Amino acid sequence: MIEVKKTYKNYVDGKYVRSESGKTYTITLGGEHFELPLTSRKDIRDAVVSSKSGYKKWLSTSPYTRTQILYRLSEMLEGNKESYINILKNNGISKRNAEKDFNNSIEKIIWFAGLADKWEQLVGNLNPVSGEYFNISHQNPIGVVFSLNKDELSLNQLISSILPALTVGCSVISLSNNSGLLALKFAEDINNSDLPAGTLNILSGNFGKLIDDISKHVEINLLAIHKELTFENIKKIEENASTSVKRVKIYPSTEGISSILPYLETKTVWHPKGT
Amino acid sequence: MVNWQYSESIESSEIVKIKKKYTNYIGGKFVEPSSKKYLNTVSPSTEEILSKVPLSNQKDIDNAVIAARSGFEKWSSITPYERSQYLFKIARLIQERSREFAVLESLDGGKPIKESRDFDLPQVAANFFYFAGWADKLDLSWSAKELKPYGVVGQIIPWNFPLLMLAWKVAPALATGNTVVLKPAETTSLTALHFAELCHDAGLPAGVVNIVSGNGSTGASIVNHKDINKIAFTGSTQVGKLIQKSLAGREVGLTLELGGKAANIVYEDAAIDQAVEGVVNGIFFNQGHVCCAGSRLLLQESIHDQFIKKLEKRMQTLRVGNPLDKNTDIGAINSKEQLEKITSLVNEGVSDGGELFQIECELPGNGFWFRPSLFTNVQPSYSIAREEIFGPVLTTLTFRTPEEAIEIANNTEYGLSAGVWTEKGSKILWTADRLEAGVVWANTFNKFDPSSPFGGYKESGFGREGGRHGLLSYLKASS
Repeated sequence: MIEVKKTYKNYVDGKYVRSESGKTYTITLGGEHFELPLTSRKDIRDAVVSSKSGYKKWLSTSPYTRTQILYRLSEMLEGNKESYINILKNNGISKRNAEKDFNNSIEKIIWFAGLADKWEQLVGNLNPVSGEYFNISHQNPIGVVFSLNKDELSLNQLISSILPALTVGCSVISLSNNSGLLALKFAEDINNSDLPAGTLNILSGNFGKLIDDISKHVEINLLAIHKELTFENIKKIEENASTSVKRVKIYPSTEGISSILPYLETKTVWHPKGT
Repeated sequence: MVNWQYSESIESSEIVKIKKKYTNYIGGKFVEPSSKKYLNTVSPSTEEILSKVPLSNQKDIDNAVIAARSGFEKWSSITPYERSQYLFKIARLIQERSREFAVLESLDGGKPIKESRDFDLPQVAANFFYFAGWADKLDLSWSAKELKPYGVVGQIIPWNFPLLMLAWKVAPALATGNTVVLKPAETTSLTALHFAELCHDAGLPAGVVNIVSGNGSTGASIVNHKDINKIAFTGSTQVGKLIQKSLAGREVGLTLELGGKAANIVYEDAAIDQAVEGVVNGIFFNQGHVCCAGSRLLLQESIHDQFIKKLEKRMQTLRVGNPLDKNTDIGAINSKEQLEKITSLVNEGVSDGGELFQIECELPGNGFWFRPSLFTNVQPSYSIAREEIFGPVLTTLTFRTPEEAIEIANNTEYGLSAGVWTEKGSKILWTADRLEAGVVWANTFNKFDPSSPFGGYKESGFGREGGRHGLLSYLKASS
């Protein structure tokens, strides 16, 4: 019997799509070759359009519902545990480490799921201003976040590069290169977790070739760089970002409260008190 | 019949002794600039030369950064409680010399004495008091495992609130354990240089605060200095972008507080008379030299004519003139360059087709002045509706529905502040949630407090100043 082999596709706006360029690149895993979509400039633009609408939908989703959707994501992953562990093992990771990586991923998703309806209480506050005013600082998500994943094959790493931004209500475009297969596999579970279309778009490809298109795109509000880049590339990203005062976070924290702070804008609202 | 003729009430300038020439303050010493060059500082209300301030060069900045580095060692070696005490002491000294600073601010910058006396200086002292108390409580401020100061911070501040912007920068930087090299704006350096004397009097360890005056190239020397750990800048979006670009690839912290074009939304169910007052305060406070000024008035169509009529009547009562007259509402425009910029944008607004109302009043013969101005019949595409004018010029746009108001309000690259006027609570909250702005004033405008975070969305910059959130601008946090 001939084995049926899956075609891996980008995940954009809730749909599995090939690169509009028709181009792919090859990943070798466990001696097997896989063709992954080589994301083009046009694909990035499409992903941004989708992320903008995804952001609106995610923003209007209540924190309680966001918690449930993220928790459901962990349930979906758990159901496919074996296939993740197989991908990791095929890449030469020991069974024990593969299981550890998977279990850490589940733990991380559940940690962030439980934070989705609490973080506002941890980072916002009333301000004791002089005079008869009600004054509160609370947070808005920053908007569309582009996140560059590491090349290292790790589900936990992928999730850590996405969840902080997603938890606080940002929409995320995640790009992976060498780790692309795992990311596109993960996209299948996103689709089953009820995340609104466009909230999380998963792409595979070569960041180096898209660096200007991504860092100059004015509708991406923040760039989170998790993959180690050369000095020249970091400089280029930061220079491009300055044309629209875009926020750039190089190797941001992925744990604890510090992990969500980059994705928030503080809004302070004043109102007089009186009779 | 009672004679209501106006009689002026001039604040005496005797309280402040302006030196003929000032020096930089580096490493606890008052030193001549190594450039041996000076800039004239002019009173914008008389065009009289008040004094000379150093035009510092790269060598001066090198010296200041070296001093700040050694100051950082000293500042790090004392206890948080001691740092707190120094800041409390500075706060008290400011209160004691408050009138002197207020008069100097009005002379050098052109702002009305009633604003420098009743707003700027009380806020300066309040900022030092507020952050003084944080210095020994940083571990309670955020639930991050480690909070560390950056080290040496370069701070570049604008000319609209010279001493207040210094306080916004210096107080949190010192409270979080950093040391600073601060450059005041070239047209308004005097209060910063007097503040140096005050630091000296407070016995602040040498090098903790370094004040270096100069122009844009002096600022660039600070930004490009190899041994600086963080830059905090307040000024135009254009310069902010250049600074962000200069720091690319350099692992130097950055916070930017840049321009704005705030929408001040007045719904038809607002308390109209209060809204008129708020709109006037929103744009004419400090001659409109305010980054968060409510410079775009968004009026619901149904109240447009009535509101404009009341607004013009109220504007006509504004008193323009001598900043030291205690009755003055609108002082001098800060510089000739700024006056030219305002004039050119207003001329463009007229030629675009905007309808211009300016109050009738006599303007002093010397100095830089601009009549409070209101544009109606404006299209959103006009420059006066898009660009920051940074002067006493209000631009009116209209809307029909709340959704349309939000769309117009957010249709700008800026996102510093916004205002909303309505008597309906749910509409305030609905509107505030949707405005892309770091500060939203509801049924009020231009209120500030050291405990209240201030800063922008989008191209109005990043980072916050003030409040618990302001501490994060000067601390590196890790989990």
